[in-house]
Amino acid sequence: MAKTRALKRRIRSVESTRKITRTMEMVATSKLKRAQDRVVAARPYAAALAAAISDLLTPELAERFALLRRPPSPAKGGPARAAVLLLTSNRGLAGAFNANLIGAARERIGALEGAGYEVDLYAVGKKGIKYFQFVKRRLALARLDIGDRPTALHAEDLAQQLMAEYEAGRLASVDVVYAHFKSPLSTPPMVMRVMPIETGGRTDGPADRGSKPSVRPRVRLSANYILKPGAGELVGALLPLYVTNAVYRALVETAASEHGARRTAMKNATDSAGDMLEILRRTFNRARQAQITQELAEIVGGAEAL
Amino acid sequence: MRVSVVSPEQVLFEGDASSVVAPAYDGQVGILPRHAPFMALLGEGTLAIRTGDEESRFGVSGGFIQVVDNVVRVVAERAQPAAV
Repeated sequence: MAKTRALKRRIRSVESTRKITRTMEMVATSKLKRAQDRVVAARPYAAALAAAISDLLTPELAERFALLRRPPSPAKGGPARAAVLLLTSNRGLAGAFNANLIGAARERIGALEGAGYEVDLYAVGKKGIKYFQFVKRRLALARLDIGDRPTALHAEDLAQQLMAEYEAGRLASVDVVYAHFKSPLSTPPMVMRVMPIETGGRTDGPADRGSKPSVRPRVRLSANYILKPGAGELVGALLPLYVTNAVYRALVETAASEHGARRTAMKNATDSAGDMLEILRRTFNRARQAQITQELAEIVGGAEAL
Repeated sequence: MRVSVVSPEQVLFEGDASSVVAPAYDGQVGILPRHAPFMALLGEGTLAIRTGDEESRFGVSGGFIQVVDNVVRVVAERAQPAAV
């Protein structure tokens, strides 16, 4: 009968889709593991750098560096541009991962524009680039080449461009929109202000494990440090590293989050393919049984007629 | 003394050592146990860590070296194990 044949075809199609999603889930799981290791491996450096800067930084010193100073508002002659660096993945099929990031970026852009800034959008990753091209927004930078294995060199490249703009006084602030890798299952989009470097209290609520190290001036326990060159020069050399490292952390966390999100999305897809198959198979069996019953009834009816 | 060498991407070395020779921005710096608190920018060059009879070498550039409480931290912008 036509109905059983159509059902059979659908069963086969769902089965092969399930094979694909299951494979993608396994690929994402193994990539996630490695990406996660990179996130963890990046922590000692970030912590050491933040601690060193905090050791050296005094409130008087903090005044001297453009990277730490809050520029005046545009009304008072400060820069009227602000930059947003959006990190997305190059590949889709990761659930709402990229949509969430794009949403967070739009929100931040809206807020900045509401405050009277003109926003330069720097986009990394195909999904973000495609979206903003679609809504016809000019991109200050569109990079596709970073992919899901970002290196410190990539971060340096990005940070250097932004720092050059910022230190030339053309930007009032630089925000990075990235996916915070809380756990493989929780990768909320986050907006991090990388320039000016925020000193003092953290901005993201109570301290959770693996939260970003922050720099804050503290009481000088370092009075008898031997410093080469002076504290000022050291801080001057380390602040750019701190910014670069913030970008690097955002890159690796986004990459790990992408795999986490994809694994979750593909697991859900595999599970619902399974559910769907169960229903389809039951419907198919019922249709087949109904057909046999009907044929039997016909045979019996035919035999009786004789 | 404890020595750790970290780059943005990974921890390259962690352990006890008897001496460290690091390329500071203005020349080589030798660190022995119980060094005074010290911090310097790194230049580019070879970092040598002596542990007993063995020596580990790394190519490093950028970043800084910090010595506090008999703990040496080499935080390099770029670092890799040197080819022997």
